[in-house]
Amino acid sequence: MADVTKSSAPAGAAANLVASGYSGLAPGEFGTGAMTTGARTQWQTVLRRFRRHRAAMISVGLFVLLVLVAIVLPWFYSYDHTYTGGDSFEEPTAAHILGTDQLGRDMVALILRGTQYSLLISIVVGVMATVIGVSLGALSGYLGGVIDTLVNRVVDLFLILPLVAVAGILVHAFAGSWYVVALVLGLFSWMTVARINRGETLSLAQREFVEAARALGAGTPRIVFRHILPNLTGIITVNATLAVATAVLAEAALSFIGLGVQPPDTSLGLIIQQNYAQFGGARWWLFWPPFLTIVAISLCINFIGDGLRDAFDPRQTRVRA
Amino acid sequence: MVPYIIRRLLISIPILGIGSLLAYLMVALSGDPLANLRAQPGVTESVISNAERQLGLDRPVLVRYWNWLTDFVQGDWGVRLGQGQARADVFDTVMRAFLVTFQLVLAAEVLAIVLGVAVGVLAAVRQYSLFDNSATTAAFIMFSMPLFCVGIALKTYGIELNNLLVNLGFERWLTTAGPRRGGYDGSVGEQIFQYTGTFLLPTLTLMAISFAAYSRFQRSSMLETMNTDYVRTARAKGLRPSRVIFRHAFRNALIPVTTLMSLNFSAVLGGAIITEIVFGWNGLGTLLVESVRQYDPNTLMGWLMVTAVVVVLFNLLADILYSYLDPRIRLG
Amino acid sequence: MKQVRGMLALAAALGAALVLSACAGGPDGASGNGAGGNGASSTAKGNNGDGTYTAPGVPPGPEVVYTHSTAYTAYNNKTPDANSFYNTEALSPVLADPFFLDGNLEYLLDTDMMESVELTSEDPQIVTYQIKPNLTWSDGAAWDCDDFYLAWLALSGKPVQRDAAGQPILDAEGNEQTFFTPASTVGVEQTNAECTDDLTFVETYETPFADWKGNYVQNSLLPAHIIEQQTGIADITTITPTSPAADLQRIADFWNTRWNGFTKEIMPGSGPYMIDSWEQNASVTLVRNPNWAGNPGGPERIVLRNIADGSAQAQGLQNQDFTVIIPQADPVVAERLRNLSAQGVIFEAKGGLTFEHLDLNFDNPLFQDKAVRQAFAQCIDRNEVVEKLVRGVDPQARPLGSLLFTPDEADYEDVYSDKMPADPTKAKQTLEAAGWQLGQDGVYAKDSRRLSFRISHTDVPRRVQTVQLIQSACRAAGMDVVDDTDPNFLDDRVSQGDYDVALYAWVGTPLKSSPASIYQTGGGQNWQGYTNPGVDEAWDKVKLEFDEAARTDALKTADRLTAEDLASLPLFQLPDMWAYSDTIDSVYYQGSDGATWNANEWEVQ
Repeated sequence: MADVTKSSAPAGAAANLVASGYSGLAPGEFGTGAMTTGARTQWQTVLRRFRRHRAAMISVGLFVLLVLVAIVLPWFYSYDHTYTGGDSFEEPTAAHILGTDQLGRDMVALILRGTQYSLLISIVVGVMATVIGVSLGALSGYLGGVIDTLVNRVVDLFLILPLVAVAGILVHAFAGSWYVVALVLGLFSWMTVARINRGETLSLAQREFVEAARALGAGTPRIVFRHILPNLTGIITVNATLAVATAVLAEAALSFIGLGVQPPDTSLGLIIQQNYAQFGGARWWLFWPPFLTIVAISLCINFIGDGLRDAFDPRQTRVRA
Repeated sequence: MVPYIIRRLLISIPILGIGSLLAYLMVALSGDPLANLRAQPGVTESVISNAERQLGLDRPVLVRYWNWLTDFVQGDWGVRLGQGQARADVFDTVMRAFLVTFQLVLAAEVLAIVLGVAVGVLAAVRQYSLFDNSATTAAFIMFSMPLFCVGIALKTYGIELNNLLVNLGFERWLTTAGPRRGGYDGSVGEQIFQYTGTFLLPTLTLMAISFAAYSRFQRSSMLETMNTDYVRTARAKGLRPSRVIFRHAFRNALIPVTTLMSLNFSAVLGGAIITEIVFGWNGLGTLLVESVRQYDPNTLMGWLMVTAVVVVLFNLLADILYSYLDPRIRLG
Repeated sequence: MKQVRGMLALAAALGAALVLSACAGGPDGASGNGAGGNGASSTAKGNNGDGTYTAPGVPPGPEVVYTHSTAYTAYNNKTPDANSFYNTEALSPVLADPFFLDGNLEYLLDTDMMESVELTSEDPQIVTYQIKPNLTWSDGAAWDCDDFYLAWLALSGKPVQRDAAGQPILDAEGNEQTFFTPASTVGVEQTNAECTDDLTFVETYETPFADWKGNYVQNSLLPAHIIEQQTGIADITTITPTSPAADLQRIADFWNTRWNGFTKEIMPGSGPYMIDSWEQNASVTLVRNPNWAGNPGGPERIVLRNIADGSAQAQGLQNQDFTVIIPQADPVVAERLRNLSAQGVIFEAKGGLTFEHLDLNFDNPLFQDKAVRQAFAQCIDRNEVVEKLVRGVDPQARPLGSLLFTPDEADYEDVYSDKMPADPTKAKQTLEAAGWQLGQDGVYAKDSRRLSFRISHTDVPRRVQTVQLIQSACRAAGMDVVDDTDPNFLDDRVSQGDYDVALYAWVGTPLKSSPASIYQTGGGQNWQGYTNPGVDEAWDKVKLEFDEAARTDALKTADRLTAEDLASLPLFQLPDMWAYSDTIDSVYYQGSDGATWNANEWEVQ
C-alpha cells in the first residue's frame, strides 16, 4: 500500500539536506574537502536505519533466498515441470518431497517454476509502474499548467477502467501468456505512483534549491533528473516495493478467476487456483506450499517496504514518549 | 462548492467519452461476436451473414462505435450475444448485477472504513502497545493473503458454526451461497436473522483487505499528525488527550484515507469479483467472467460504462470529503 | 522496539498460519465410497415396461433446490440464441412431450398425453400422433394438435420469403430466407404435416428418416393459443408455408423473440410443473401445475439456481442451502462430495454422452500416411489419461472404444483398444517399417520431413493436461507433439479444418443418425476431410433403415471401418457427476436432459 502521508510531508527532503550538511547542492554531491566531518550520503544513512529494522532485514534475507532457490534449484533438481511420470496425487515421499498433483507432476518442480513466473511478472509490473508513474508524476508536478491537467486526466481515464476487466478482456484475447498478464498489470498500476510523485514534486518544486538551480540557468530535464528525482528516491523505492507486492497478489487474484496466466504457462496464482479446493481437504501438500510461498513473498516485500519507509523518514527515530 | 461539482461533472463527460472509445476499441478487437453462432452445428452461411448485417459488423470500427454510443446514451444498451443468453436486455442485466454487487460493496466498505479508522486511531494512540502490535500483524497478514482463501476459510467455519447451532437446537444461520431467494420474510427479528446470515460471510471476506489497508493508513497518518507542531502545542496547552486527538489530530489524519478510498475502488471491485465467485452471488463479478469467457461485447461495454460512472462519482465524493476535512485545500 | 515488533509480527504470522491449518481440519468419515451404485435408478418409476410411461403417484414433498452452473434464459429453447442445455433442465418438467426420455435414453410413449404414436406407413413414411382428449395447459387452453402444428411450422424451416410468383427469394449467398429461425431443422425439414382433426397430427415424410421419434421432444411443443392471441391469427392450422408473408412474419417474430426470459401470461405449462417466477440470472421457480392431467409431482416446488463454481455448490449442499447439485466434473469437488457421505450427501458419477476425441486432419500429408496414424494411435496411453484425469471423478471410467456407442449400450463393441496398445516400441516399429528414420534429435523423419505436428484445442485445463500426457508418451516413440492452446479454436478454426490434430468433444444424442454428418464424405461436420465409400454406404443405411436390427448392424459396420482407418481416436467419455441430499430417494443424471427428467417422481422428506 502506498503511504501517502509520508510523501505529502516535505520533511524528508529537508532532513536529507541536514544530514548531508549542505544546502543548495543535490544530495550525494560533496564539495571537495570543504567540510571536515565525514558526512554520510543519503543512502548510507538510509541503509543504517534500515539495518535496524529487524523484520525488514529478515525479509530481505528470506526474499533473496527465495529468488536464488527459484532460479538456481531447478538446474539441480531431479524433475522438471513437464515431468508427468508420477502417479496421480502421490503423497510426499522421498522421491517426491511434496508429492504430486493430479497429473503426476512433481509439486516442488511446479512451485519452483510458478515462483519464477510470479516473481518475473511482479518485478516487470513493479518496474513498469515505477518508470511510467514517476516520469509522468514528476513531469506533471514540476511543469504544472496544461501538462499537469493533461496527465491528471489521463490518470482519471486509466482509473475509470478497472484492472480486472481490462486484464480479463485482453488476456482472453491474447491467450494469457505471462507477458500479456505482466503488460496489462503494469499498464494499470502506475496511477497511484504518478499521483504520489506528483504531490511530492509539487512541494519540492517550491524549494529554494530548485529556484536557485533555475536561476543558474538549468533547463527542465536537468532540474527534474538532477535535483528533484534524487529527492524522490525514498518515495520511489517504497512505492516500487509496494507495487511489486500488489502485483504478486493481483496476479494471483486474476489467475484465481481464470483470467490470468493460462496453462501451459504457470504461476503461483495458477497453481493455487488449480488446487484451491484442497483447502480443508486431505491433500495439504497441494495447497499449502504454494499458498505459503505467495504469502511469504508478499509478507517479505511488505516488510521490506515498511522498513524502507521507516528508514527514509528521520522523524521515526523518535523514542516512545 | 456547487460550481466546483458542476465543473467536475462537466470535465468527466469528455473523460467518460474517451474512456468509452478506448473501451470499445479494446472490446471490439478482442473477439468475434459471431463466434458462438458459427460454432453451432447446422448454422448456415445465410444465417451468419444475416447476423453480421444485423449487428453492423460489416462497417468499420469507428462507425460501429458511433452507432453504439448514440444508442447507448438513449438507453438502448443492446442485447446479450453470449451463447444461450436468449438476447436478454443488457441494461436490465447490468443494472441487476450492479445492485447485487453494490449491496455487498457498500456494506463491506462502510464496515472497513469505520473499523479501519477506529483501529488505526487506537493503534496510533497506543503506539507499540500489544494492541498496536497485534493490529499491525493482523493487517500485514491480511495484506498478504489472497482474498479467496479468506472466503473459503470463512465458508468452512461458517458451516461448522451452522452445524454447532443445529446441535444446540437452533436453526442454521449462515448461508454460503447466494443471496436469499425470494427476499426476506417473517417478523423484523426473523428478517434481521436472515439478512445477517446471508450477508455476514461475504461482507467479512470483502472487507478484510480494505480494512487492513485503512487501519495501516490511518495509523501512520495519525502518528504523523500527532507529531506536528500544532498538536504538540495543543498538548502543551494542557488540553485533554482525547480532545487533542479528536478535535485536532483526527480530522487531518483522515485526509490520506479519503485519498485511499478513491484509489482503492479498483481493488475493491476486484475483490468483489472474487467474493461473488466464491459465495455464488450473481453480481458484476460473475457477469464479467461470463461475458469475457463467452465474448459478449454489449454486456462488456455496459459493464465498463457502469463502473466508469461509479468511479467518477466516487472520486468526486472523495474530493468533496477531502475539501471538507481540510480547509486549506480549496477546491477549484 | 522495532525489532521486538518485527519479531512479534513474524512469529504471529507463522502462528496464524498454523492455526488456520489446524482449524481447517481433514476429511470427515471414510474417504472414497466408490462412485455411483448408491442406488440412483436410471429407470423411471412410471415405466410400464411395455415402452410406455405413466406418471406415478408419489407422496407430496417440500421444496427442492436444484443447482446447476448456468442460468435459465428462455422458455423457447429452440432458437439459436437460447438453445441451452440449462434451459432444458428447467423446461423438462414444464413442457410435455409425446415421448418421455428416461434415464437410459429410451423413448417411452407418454400415456398421460398421447393415446398412441405410430408409424402407420413405411413407404411413404407416415407417422400419426393420436393425442388424448381434454388435455389443457395451466391457463386452461386446450393442449391439442394446434401445438404440434405450430412446432412443425417453426421447426421445419419451410416458411420462406417468397416473391410475387411464389418463388423463394434467395439472399446473396443463394440461400433461402426462412421466417422462423430454429436452431436446428433436422428431421422435421423432411416432413409435411397437418391436423386431420383436433386430436390427430399426421406427418408425411418426403424422404425416410429413421429417428422420427425425436422430432417433437425436448420442449418443442409451445402454446399455439398464445401465438393466436398475441398475433391476432384466428387458427394456427390455417397458416401454411405459402400463407401471406405478413401473417408469417408476425407469427415468426413472436416465436423467434418473445418467448425469452419469463412472462407469466404467455408462458403456461403443460407438464406436471409450471414456471412460477424468475429472477434473471439467479433462479427460476417451478410449482405444481394444477391442470396437469396425470398424477401430480412430488416436490411442491422446484427452484433452479445457477452457481458457476463447483466448490461453492458443494459447500452449499453441505450447508443444506441446496438439495441437488450438478457441478462441472472436477476430481477435487468429487472427492469433497464423497467425503460428505456421513453427512447425508449422496454422490454419483458416471460416463456421460459427451466424449473427448482426437481428429486427424486428412489434408495434412503426414496423416495421409497410414503408418503415421497407426504409430500415433499406438503411442498414446489412454489408460494413463483416464487414470489421471477422469478416475478422480468416476473410478469406473475406462478408455472409450467406440465412436458411436457407449459402454452402457448392449451393442457396444470396443474396436479401438487393439489398435491403441500404449506401446511406444510398437509405434517405432510401425514407423520404421514404413521408412521413417530416427533423427539426431530423437524425432523421426522421412524425405526430410520431421514427424512433428500440433494438437489444437481450447483452453480447458483438462485438455491442456491431456496434451501434456500425450506429449510425454509420444516423445518416447519419436514424435514431436506440439501443444496449440487456442481459446477460440472451436469458433471457426475447427470448422475450417485449420489444425493437424484436433482435440475436442462431441455431445452424443439419442438420435443415432446424427453422427452421419461427421463421418460421411462431404458431411456438414466432416471437417477433417475423411472419406471412405464403405462408411458412406453404412451411414446411408442408418438414415433410412426402419428395422432396428439392420440399423444397429450398419452402425457397427460404420464404426468398425472408421476404426480401421484411424480417422478419429476416441479417448474417454466426459463424466457427469451430481450429488444430492439423502432426503430425496433417487436422482439420476441423464445426458440429454439433465437430472430433472423425472423430477415429478422425486419423493422428498
